[in-house]
Parts: sequence; structure tokens; C-alpha cells
Amino acid sequence: MAASGELGGVPSQEAAPGGKGLKPGALGLLSSIVIGVASTAPAYSLAASLGFVTLAVGLFAPAVMWLAFVPMLFIAAAYFYLNRADPDCGTTFTWVTRAVGPRTGWMSGWGILVTDLVVMPSLASIAGIYTFRLFGADGLAANRWWPMVVGIIWIAVMTLICYIGIELSARTQVLLLAAEAVILVAFAVAALVKVYGGGIGHSLHPGWIWLDPFKIQSWGALSAGMLVAVFIYWGWDTAVTVNEESKDAKRTPGIAALLSTVILLAIYLVVSVAAQAFHGPGFLSNPNNSGDVLGALGHDVFGSGWDRLLIIAVLTSASASTQTTILPAARSSLSMAVHRAFPKRYGSIHPRHLTPGFSTLVFGAVSIAWYVALNIISTDVLANSILALGFGIAFYYAMTGFACVVYYRRFLFKSVKNFVFVGLAPLIGAVMLTAMFVVAVFYYSNPANSSNGKTAWLQFIRFRFHVWHFEFYVVKGVAPPVVIGLGLLVVGVPLMLLWRLRHAEFFRHRRETASSIDHTAPPLTPGVLPVVD
Amino acid sequence: MAGDIVLGYDGSDGSKAALTVAVSVAKAFAAPLVIVFGYEPNPMGGETADYMRQLEAIGTRYLAGAVEEVKKLDSSVKVESIVAPLRPVESLLEAAKERAARVIVVGGNSERPIVGAILGSVPHKLLHRSTVPVLVVPAAE
Repeated sequence: MAASGELGGVPSQEAAPGGKGLKPGALGLLSSIVIGVASTAPAYSLAASLGFVTLAVGLFAPAVMWLAFVPMLFIAAAYFYLNRADPDCGTTFTWVTRAVGPRTGWMSGWGILVTDLVVMPSLASIAGIYTFRLFGADGLAANRWWPMVVGIIWIAVMTLICYIGIELSARTQVLLLAAEAVILVAFAVAALVKVYGGGIGHSLHPGWIWLDPFKIQSWGALSAGMLVAVFIYWGWDTAVTVNEESKDAKRTPGIAALLSTVILLAIYLVVSVAAQAFHGPGFLSNPNNSGDVLGALGHDVFGSGWDRLLIIAVLTSASASTQTTILPAARSSLSMAVHRAFPKRYGSIHPRHLTPGFSTLVFGAVSIAWYVALNIISTDVLANSILALGFGIAFYYAMTGFACVVYYRRFLFKSVKNFVFVGLAPLIGAVMLTAMFVVAVFYYSNPANSSNGKTAWLQFIRFRFHVWHFEFYVVKGVAPPVVIGLGLLVVGVPLMLLWRLRHAEFFRHRRETASSIDHTAPPLTPGVLPVVD
Repeated sequence: MAGDIVLGYDGSDGSKAALTVAVSVAKAFAAPLVIVFGYEPNPMGGETADYMRQLEAIGTRYLAGAVEEVKKLDSSVKVESIVAPLRPVESLLEAAKERAARVIVVGGNSERPIVGAILGSVPHKLLHRSTVPVLVVPAAE
């Protein structure tokens, strides 16, 4: 049985970059950008997060929108360079394992998994709420339980879609994304036209000061706002990561990631300015509206009937986002299992659908359980999820930035370009994210700063101290976002130790460094046999 | 080399039935048999390197079994196998084009029609897009 070379079907050892024998040229620049932007799901991200950014920083939400872009751009450089060396689907998990060591690597992989888990309730409730809105059942949309029912169905269906491996054609995706962008821009234009036309309650004329982050009242508020805002750029790294299929695998993904970030930045700035101008920041941060600002504004901006367009945009956006949460989560656990850092079962592949079947189903089931639990414990699922999400994202993106610097440390001083793009940018990005993480932990440790200002968990925790001119105090317990965001990450530590006790082989991986700036790393765990369900 | 018989094989019952038929067709035309396994993960989920390695290994394993089976059925048929990182339909069309195939043989859907319509069925897409005849073999009852 001679394998044929013409189709690229060569056994892996002899194949071209990365040893995967892929057909090059499958994805062009446009498709890569579409995947990048669609993965980020701008309509859903805005609907879910703009209110909470406004809650933290008031009038300066647009400033935070562009400021949050900075660390993300810097971390994009880290993704780009690490991905060149090793395009495994474990991403941060495999990179950090190589560069820093298996324990930190394991925790980074855990970080990805819990971050993906935390976003699911938010996605599902947005999908639930908007489904009722689409049919004009606004009363049901505001109910605590009915959107959960629809949300659970949503997670189940999307999990099934990922399990079976149905995918939209590239052309359908381009169309959906174009529609989403057009509707968002139309929303912004319609809102601004009405604002300047006058007669809109609490409307404001946009000013340049909205873009000035130095006017934000406190560092705590700034980093809380930033932590929410990084979430809206989250997922765009997929554009860097669809690397092997890209036409010029070493360049296209990087350019696509940059362009898609710029497109996102433009959409976010325009829409956040317009949304804020329309009814003022108070409307956005009002707990009744903050969970889905676009839904709340849609009716007034577009008039009845047309606001359905906005609802459809958010729903398609949420569906893309659900997919780009389930797929990478399942692939992360697949990768961890393949490299012996997770139970073998998670590495199994469905014989017919060729998807990471078990990982996908488990992730769907755990998401539903988590969603139900959160909805029972707290009345404010959306707020707590979105506010908690930033912790996980900041954690594993920061780890990626540090890993890049450590991995390529021998080449940082070889050229100015290396120093800036491989060293300095990822390092600054990682340091910024780490600082945001730490400051936001203290900001949210005061329950008064959480979404409705009342809920406090873990009420036995009380402390108070000063560092420089920051005052950190916890007098009545901790706000739910910190408990969720930090708690889930910390739960990983005992799990890792437990796994280490029983399966030490993964933890015997030695640290590696790059042997050249464009080096291709050998597989982390060579000779792994696939498990078929 | 032209006039090859191209067989799509994914280890399912339908594809096993197709294999039996493909062997007799290959024998009748005295043509070489090319067995194809195509796979391509959804690009939406990000990076796939280690996942792809697993899929390729699975494909290689399936095809080794298929080649074995062909040899058992008729050792005179010349058989070759291709694991291609393309969607199943694309890999079959590509192989057919490359080999100037006489016919593409695939297993019929073991799924019910509605399910096939939702999931998308390889034989269905092939019938629409192939420029060479397509032979669809139903799974054994």
C-alpha cells in the first residue's frame, strides 16, 4: 500500500511544515479574517459586555475599548510566534509546558478550560433572551427561568452540532459575518442620526473626552473595565491559529489576526460611542439593561420591526461564539489527554464523525450543569459570568505572553525586530494583563463594585489594608465574580496535584527553548496512538 | 495510470459493502483500486496539529484494514491507499481527477434520509459534483 504524495496524503514524518501533510492554500486571507472576526462574535460580545464596561468606567467605555486592544495586540504577537513553532490544539497548554514547565502548562490548560466553561452560561442566556425577543415575548425574556430552558436547549444543540461535526460553508460564514457587521454599523449610524436630530431622552453628543482613559476615576475601575473589555477581543486569536490550512502558513495568519483586530476595534469604538450617545451611560449600566444593551436599545434606535435585525445579528453571533467555545474547549482537553495530562478518554475520537466526541459531550454536559447551578445560586448569571470571565482570559493570555519570551529567550537580542515583537510586546502584554488581574481581584473583592452592588459570597472573609494609595478592603465578603473567576482557576491546583500523583509521566517533560526563531518544534509527546470511541 | 476505481472508505458498514463491490468492479475492468480516506476538522475551533495527527493515524489504521480486506477478497487486484487532509467529498473528487478514475464507489448512507439531509451526505454531494460515474452501494441488511 503505497501512499500517494499528490494529495498530500504522506505519512506524517515526511510531510511539509509541522509534519501534517496538509493541502496548502485551503484558507486565504479573507477566510482567515472571517474566522477571526466571527470567532470573536462582535454583536454578542457587545450585547453582553458593553453594559458592564460602562458600569465600571461610566462615560469612558469607548476609551477602555481601545485601551483593552493594546494588551490583546501584544499577546497576538506571542500567539503568532509560538504558533509557528508548535500549532498544537492545546495552544497555551502545550506552549507553556514547553517553555515554562509541565505544572504551569497544566494550569494554563486548566485556565483555558474553565474560561470556556465560564462563558457558556452567558452565551446561553443571551441566546435564550434573544430567542424570546425575536418572537416579541419580552415578558418571558425577562423571566429568570424560561431563558434558561431555551439556553439549555441551545447548549445541547450546539454541542451536538460540534459532536457530529456539521459546519457551515466558508461562504455562508462570510455572508453571516457581513450581515452582522452591516447591522452593527447601521445601528450606530441610526443611533447617531437620531441623537443629532434631537428629542431622544438622556442623549449625549459624543466628545473626544470619551476616548481618554486618563479621566477614569480610579485604577480599580480602569482595570475592572479593561478586564471585561478584553473579553470582547477574546477568540480573535483563532485567526492566528488556523495556521496550517492558510495559504502562506507562516504569514497569512498573523496578517489576518492583525486585520481582524483592527476591524473589531473599529466596530467596537463606533458602536460603543453610538450606544452611549443614545440614552447616556446610565441606561447602559442599569441592571435591567446591562445584560444585553443592544436588545435594550434596539427598539428605540431601529423602531419596531427593524429591531429584529439586531436580534438576529446577536443570535447568529452567539451561535458562532458557542461553536468557537465548544470546539477549542474540546480540542484543549483532547490535546491535554493526548499529551497524558488528562484522562485518556478525553483524547478519544469518534470513529465516524472524526470529532473529539467524548470531550465535546462532556464539555456540553458540564456547561449545562454549571449554567443551572449558577442560575439557582445567583439571580445575576450574566453579570457574574461576564465579570468573572476576564480573570481566566487574563490568566492564560498572560501565560502565553510570558511563555513566548521564555521560549525564544536566546534569540531576543539577535535583532531589533526580535526584541520588539518576540520579546518586548508579549512581555508588556503579559505584564499588563497580570496587573489588571491583580488590581481587579481587589476591586471586585468589594461587593459594592459587583453588578448589583449587593451580593456577597464567602462572607467570612474580612480584611482591609493599604498599598501605596490603593485601599483594599473586604468587609462583607467577596463579590461573586472573584469567587467564580479566581475560584475555578484555584480548583485546578489540587486537581493537578492529584493527576501528578497518579500519572507522573506528563510531569516529566523537560523545559525546551527554541533552537531558532522560526524553528518547528517536534511533537510534545511523540508516538501517541489515537483512541477511537 | 488511468481508469482507476476510487473507493471512499471510512470504516462504516456502508463503506465495507462498497469495498466488496469495488473489488469486483476493479477485477472486471482489470483496473487498480485506490482507497481514499478524507478528513478535515472545522477551522473555526483554532489550531489542530495534534488532533490532525490523531485523525491521520486513524485513517491510516482504517485503510490498512481495508487493504488487508481487499487482499483477502482478491489478491490479484492492485490496491493503493490515500489518507488525505481534505473533506471526504473533496478528497474523492480530487483522487478521481488525479487518477482519471473510471468510477467512484461509496457506501450508501446508513442514516435515514432526514438525518442525511441535515448532516449532509457524501454520496448525495458526490452525485451532484462528480464528473465521473458514482456507484452507491447500500449497507448490507
